[in-house]
Amino acid sequence: MATCACARRCEVSVFGALSTVEGAPSGVLEEVAREFSPRIEVCSPTEIVLDLDGLTRLFGDARTIAEELRRTAADRGLRVRVAIAGTRMAARLLVRYRAGLTIVEPGNEAAAVAPLPITLLDELSSNTSGIKDPHHRIKEPHHRTKDPHHRTKDQEPRTKDQIATFRHWGLRTLGDLAALPADDLAARLGRQQTDWQRLARGEDARPLVPAVPEERFEQSLDLEWPIEELEPLSFVLGRLMDRLEAHLEQRDRGAAVLHVRLHLIKRSNVQGQRSTDGTTREVHERSLQLPVAIRDARTLRMLALLDLESHPPPAAIDRVTVAVDPTPGRIVQFSLLTRPLPSPEQVATLMARLQALMGETRCGSPAMVDSWEPGAFAMKSFMPLDVNARHQRYDTQRYRDTENKSSSSLIHSRGASVPRPSTCARGALSSVEGRCVVEVNDASKLPVVALRRFRHPIPIRVQMKHGQPMSVSIMRRGLNGGVVDSCAGPWRTSGAWWESRTESRFPSPESRVPTPWDRDEWDVALAEGPTYRLFRERHSDKWFLEGVVD
Amino acid sequence: MAHPAVAVLESALRARKLDRTLTTTLPSWEWTDPSSLLPTDIPLVDACLRGGLPRGQLSELTGACSSGRMTLLLQLMAAATRRGEIAALVDTLDCFDVASAAAAGVDLDRLLWIRGADSGLGARGSETQHTRTQNVRSRNMESRIPDRESRIPSSVDRAIDRALKALNLVLQAGGFGIVAIDLADVPAVTLRQIPFTTWPRVQRVIEGSDTACVLVTPEPLARSAGGLTLSLTSRSTWAGMSDRSHVLQGIDLRVRVVSPRKRIDGDVRVRASM
Repeated sequence: MATCACARRCEVSVFGALSTVEGAPSGVLEEVAREFSPRIEVCSPTEIVLDLDGLTRLFGDARTIAEELRRTAADRGLRVRVAIAGTRMAARLLVRYRAGLTIVEPGNEAAAVAPLPITLLDELSSNTSGIKDPHHRIKEPHHRTKDPHHRTKDQEPRTKDQIATFRHWGLRTLGDLAALPADDLAARLGRQQTDWQRLARGEDARPLVPAVPEERFEQSLDLEWPIEELEPLSFVLGRLMDRLEAHLEQRDRGAAVLHVRLHLIKRSNVQGQRSTDGTTREVHERSLQLPVAIRDARTLRMLALLDLESHPPPAAIDRVTVAVDPTPGRIVQFSLLTRPLPSPEQVATLMARLQALMGETRCGSPAMVDSWEPGAFAMKSFMPLDVNARHQRYDTQRYRDTENKSSSSLIHSRGASVPRPSTCARGALSSVEGRCVVEVNDASKLPVVALRRFRHPIPIRVQMKHGQPMSVSIMRRGLNGGVVDSCAGPWRTSGAWWESRTESRFPSPESRVPTPWDRDEWDVALAEGPTYRLFRERHSDKWFLEGVVD
Repeated sequence: MAHPAVAVLESALRARKLDRTLTTTLPSWEWTDPSSLLPTDIPLVDACLRGGLPRGQLSELTGACSSGRMTLLLQLMAAATRRGEIAALVDTLDCFDVASAAAAGVDLDRLLWIRGADSGLGARGSETQHTRTQNVRSRNMESRIPDRESRIPSSVDRAIDRALKALNLVLQAGGFGIVAIDLADVPAVTLRQIPFTTWPRVQRVIEGSDTACVLVTPEPLARSAGGLTLSLTSRSTWAGMSDRSHVLQGIDLRVRVVSPRKRIDGDVRVRASM
């Protein structure tokens, strides 16, 4: 076939279609196409359309380009078909039907595709229905809805029916369909059917929508001399984070996850000497899940450093790579009417510092858990900015109900717990500057007495008299025992008896595994002043100090 | 008229920009902006405090065991979180009861809880019978040792050291309405070993900010010049005459306010219910 003349004229578009028959590894065909043109459209995993405008200056005429495409694909282990034409649709139809290289002169697309079988339209239609969106971030063009090749799945049977109708009419080739009078065709099958004729002539229904390569937000730096300490590493990280911040800002993105990869020099067997070849052997990788989208370079650097302080690399570093998983940027609306809260960057930095100092599980917001277990709680991340739909939670009310619910103090064996009796407090005795005032107010407005709870109950000795504690001995500095002045109880609580008994009597609350408990609780005020909450473990008959009323 | 030596001292402090420690430089309470105070939402206490605890100052809640320190602290935190502010608690020896905070009305989502190591007074549940026996045997020996208190477990020191560092980090981050550090269970002798420069440094950090820093201690320790000391005592109240109906009703809390040069001085009683 003659050399494509239009390739020498800039005003005429030239498209190439690249197709492979055998299953190619994912992305290889796209890599081949991107070596020639940045404007490509991925029609299917085995078919790609390229915009070849301007490539004649680099490679030569259309045939040379096609041969170069084929050679490049062969280098990657692919056998491809190549078709070059003035329209995308003509190139696609030809690449599906003809093997090898196909070059069509501009303006001859209709003639070139005319002998092709009409069933190609059906193939094209069924194939495009499963097309991967070339760029999922780009809004679908409006004109795409007019393209009969972008039909929904419920339209596929209609497409097959229409092709069957064409065949029933005796149409065998695309040329036959293109030769039909457009008005008559629209009168019988509808105005939309004229689009089939345009396709049969090899005309494009819409412009090429180039696929944008997935952008990687990653920065790397090879070091001339390995770094062994974190302080010099902070300068390297700062430099990389600055670049990363600029990239993220350019795309209005923030970091959702920060990845730090440190390539380490593996030490040789002889202590203190590095391997002679100096090649990198190990990778120390850390990933930080950020609470909000962050792109501030200083914050990212600080978070990475604090994490590396807690998890230092075992050897010297010769290559540093930072990468982020991008997420849409954060839109912040400040208010003039409320006190400013710390920014998410400040909170993230503070939490990282605190976790490095106190431990990862020791900082956060407390949360109630749905359990009757005394002292049960959970920790969650501190996110003060999440202010929407914040109401007093049911567990708070449940706790108050539990503590204040009116009930008998008699021990009974059926319930899992005997709630404490109501305090029926309705008055507040107060005095200001010597003047005594008795105020009658709502009990719900009274301050609630707090308990200072010992996370691990303290073993104590209790002397009983007539079934009630008479004296308490505490062998712990700072906590006084003594004669009991007043006491109330016992309130029996038990739970988790259906669980297997663990070896630890008082496991840490973080374990989140319910442990059996069965005990009698007492509130005890000593003559010396302090008021304690005690309990007796029923199965061992041992006494413990659970907390101090404070 | 002030003594000439006092005037010289004050001018020397001003020259070195240390005049924030002078009570004469503090603004008049009559002209205090309400937004610069942290109310407790307990009317009687707020009336006694003339609005609440001052922001940007270091205040104290002091008292013995069961004096109601944690009750009042939780009220402060509940009031702050109800107004949309955020609160932080540095729990030095991990004694915070989450259920009590929830019952007091603290918005837990707005509370940053920093749990110290369960040490010092702790290792509570790990005391074995063997250890207890040893303790009993050595009790008489200990009574003969002149400086018992000097043998402080190093774990408590480490816990305090970490807690103070955490407090500093939180205060430097800023944005908190109230930041409290709970030193109530720390032995007094250990508290006295904390370098005295610690608290002026803390005061420097929060100076001019909207954060009220509160220390919970067994005895007065480190109030700033503009801060307040709330000295607490309490008495438990009981209801019911018979053994079976006897129940702990709450505590009668007596709050005595101590301020620099008695700029505020008052005494108030509040009842807290279970």
